[in-house]
Amino acid sequence: MNAKASKNQLTSIEPAYYEAVTEAIRKEAVKILKEETVVGVVGYLPGRRKGTATPALVTSVEEAEKLIFSPACVNNLSVYLTKAKKGVLKQGKVGIVAKGCDMRALAGLMTESQLQREDLFIIGVVCPGVYGFGVERTGTLTEANIARKCRECTVHMPEGADVAAGTHAELADLTPEEAEEMARIEAMPQAERWAFWKEHFSRCIRCMACRQVCPFCYCEQCLCDKNRPQAVESSPRPAGNMAWHLVRAMHLAGRCGGCAECERVCPMDIPLNLLNRRMAKELKELYDYEAGLAPVEKGPLNQYKEDDDQSFIK
Amino acid sequence: MQIITEQNLRNLIDLLVKEAKLVVGPKLSGSVVLYEPLTAGTELTLDALPRRSSKELFFPVCEDILSYKREGGGMKVTDVDRSKFPETVLIGAPPCDAGSPSILDAVMSWDYKDEFYLERRKKSTIVGIACTKGDDACFCQAVGLAPDAENGSDLFLTPLKDGSYACNAVTEKGQALVAAHKNLFAEGAGAEPVPFVDQAVQKLDLVKIKKWLEEHFEDPLWERIADICVGCGACAFICPACHCFDINDEGSTDDGVRRKHWDACGFAKFTNHASGHNPRDVQNKRYRNRIMHKFKYYDDKFGKTLCTGCGRCIRACPVGIDIAEILETINGKAE
Ligand code: SF4
Ligand code: SF4
Ligand code: SF4
Ligand code: SF4
Ligand code: SF4
Ligand code: SF4
Repeated sequence: MNAKASKNQLTSIEPAYYEAVTEAIRKEAVKILKEETVVGVVGYLPGRRKGTATPALVTSVEEAEKLIFSPACVNNLSVYLTKAKKGVLKQGKVGIVAKGCDMRALAGLMTESQLQREDLFIIGVVCPGVYGFGVERTGTLTEANIARKCRECTVHMPEGADVAAGTHAELADLTPEEAEEMARIEAMPQAERWAFWKEHFSRCIRCMACRQVCPFCYCEQCLCDKNRPQAVESSPRPAGNMAWHLVRAMHLAGRCGGCAECERVCPMDIPLNLLNRRMAKELKELYDYEAGLAPVEKGPLNQYKEDDDQSFIK
Repeated sequence: MQIITEQNLRNLIDLLVKEAKLVVGPKLSGSVVLYEPLTAGTELTLDALPRRSSKELFFPVCEDILSYKREGGGMKVTDVDRSKFPETVLIGAPPCDAGSPSILDAVMSWDYKDEFYLERRKKSTIVGIACTKGDDACFCQAVGLAPDAENGSDLFLTPLKDGSYACNAVTEKGQALVAAHKNLFAEGAGAEPVPFVDQAVQKLDLVKIKKWLEEHFEDPLWERIADICVGCGACAFICPACHCFDINDEGSTDDGVRRKHWDACGFAKFTNHASGHNPRDVQNKRYRNRIMHKFKYYDDKFGKTLCTGCGRCIRACPVGIDIAEILETINGKAE
C-alpha cells in the first residue's frame, strides 16, 4: 500500500490511504461516544456532490459510523470549539478530528485560554494533504490537485493528539508555490507591492468568510462591525477594504496558526495566507516565536518584558 | 433563423463600445472570471460561470446614494444624478444569471421604488446565452429554469456545433439591438446546437416545498444546518437573487457620502435593531430566513421563487452547506 511506500517515490496518494484513516476515525469516535468519554465528536461527513465533505457535529454512534476522511476534508474544525460558535455542542468533553495544521489552532486556542486540553479528545490525522480550490476531485491526491499549503507542510504527523489515525504518507518533491510567491512579492519595490495588494483588496466584497472560518477571529465585537461610530468603513470599497485587511493582519500576527482557511474560503481568490505568512515571519525574526506549535504561557504580543527591544521607538 | 458567428459577436461588442454603450460580460480578472466592463470583443470569455452573478450590474456591491457637506450654517445634500447612468448591454449571461433581474424587478418596484436599480434596468439590454458547461452544483432545471431558458433575456443565443450562435430576439429591446446591427446577423438554417448539461438534482416540487416551510417554522433541520454554518455572507453575496442591503454614512460629520451596499442574512448583525434587540439572534434563525425568503416569502408576495439554481452558494460555502441537498430533503419530507 502507498502509505508504506518510501516518501521519495510517492507521486500520488490513493483512496485506500484515506479509507484506512476513515476506518480508524470511525473506530475511535464510536468508542469514545459509547464509553461516554465525550458528548460529541466534530468530524467530517460526505457531501452530496462527488468528492466533497462537510463538517459535522456527531453525537450518536450511528452518525459516528458515517464519519469520513478524504482529500475533501479541508476545513479546520477547531472553529467549532471557539466562542464564535458557542453553544453548538453540549457542555462536556468534546472529540475533534484534527489534521496537523488544525492542531496548531488548537494549541493556539489553549494558549489564549479559549480551550482546556482536558476538555478535548483529539483524534489526530496523519495527513498526506487535501484538495486545493477548484481542482479535479478524483479521489487520488496528486501534485495537480493538492492544496498550496500542503506543498510545504511540516506537520503531516500531528503531535499531542490522544490517538493518531493513519500511518505516514506524503507526496514527494512538490514545488513550494507559496514560498516562491512570497519571495516574489518581497522582492518587489514597495510601490509595486502596494499596488499588488491594492489590486487584490479592490476585489474584496466584505463577505467576511475569511473572518468567520478563522479559529482566532473569535472576538464577540469585531472592530469592523462597529458602526456607532464606524471604526472601519464597512462598505466594500478600496479604502475600507485596505483598512480591514490591515487590521486583520495585525490582529492575527503571532496568533495565526497558518491553516490557510481564510485564503481557501475567499470567493474572490485573495491570497490572504501570504499576509499571514509574512506576519509570522516578522514574529519569528523579532521574537523567535512561532505560533501554535505547542500551547505556551503567553504569546509575544500579549506580554511585556523589561528587557524587550525598545529600539524601534524613536 | 438568425445566426451570428463568434467573430461577429465580438465585433458587435466592439461596435457597442464605439457607440459609447457600457458593455458588460464575463471577463478574466486576475484568477477569477467576473462580469466586468468590456473594452473590446476579444475580452469576452465564455469558459466559466463568473464567480459573482450579474446582479451587480443593477445592484452594485456598493454605490453612493447621496453626498453631504457642511456649508455655512447648514448641511448641503447632493443627490446622485441618475440620468448619467449609461445605456448598458449585458452580454454572455447564462440563464441562471439572465433570469435574475426579472425576478428582482418585483421587489425593487413594490411599495418603494428603488430608482437606482430601476434606472439601470430601464437602460439595459440582456443578451443571454444557453449554457453547455454546468457542473454538479448547478440545479437551474430543478427550480423551473433550464440551461436553455430564455426567461429574462432580451436576445438569446444558443451555441451551435460549428461555433456560431442561433439568435432569438425575445423582447423589443432584443429586436432593436439586432435591427441596429443587421449586417452582423445572417439568416440561415444553422448547425446543430451544442448539447446541454445533464443535472444531478431532480426537478423540485416548489409548491410542496413551500407548504412544508409553512408548517415547519420550527424544525430540527434548521439547527442541523446552523450548527455548521459559520455565518458569513458568501452565499448571499454571490447569489444572483439575494438583494438585502445596508446603508451607511461614511466620512466625517462635516463631509461624507451615504452608501448602499450588500448585506447578508448570515451576518450576526443582520436585523440587529437600534434598540439592541435582535429578532434573529442565533444562526439557525438566520439560515431559516434564507430558505424561507427564497422559497416562501418571496413567492407569497410576488409569486416568484428567489433562486435561479446557479449553484454559486453551493460552490462557495466554506462549510459545504448545499442548498440543493436541503431542498431535496424538504421535497422528500413533505407529504
Ligand atoms: S497542511 Fe499538512 S496537515 Fe494540513 S491539510 Fe495540508 S498536509 Fe494535511
Ligand atoms: S473572504 Fe475574501 S472577499 Fe470575503 S471579506 Fe475576506 S477577503 Fe474579502
Ligand atoms: S488567519 Fe487564516 S490561516 Fe491564520 S488561523 Fe485564521 S484562518 Fe487560519
Ligand atoms: S440561492 Fe444559491 S443556487 Fe440559488 S440563486 Fe442564489 S446562489 Fe444560486
Ligand atoms: S445553473 Fe448551471 S447549467 Fe443552469 S444556467 Fe446556470 S451555469 Fe448553466
Ligand atoms: S456561505 Fe455557508 S457558512 Fe456562510 S452563511 Fe452561507 S451557509 Fe453559512
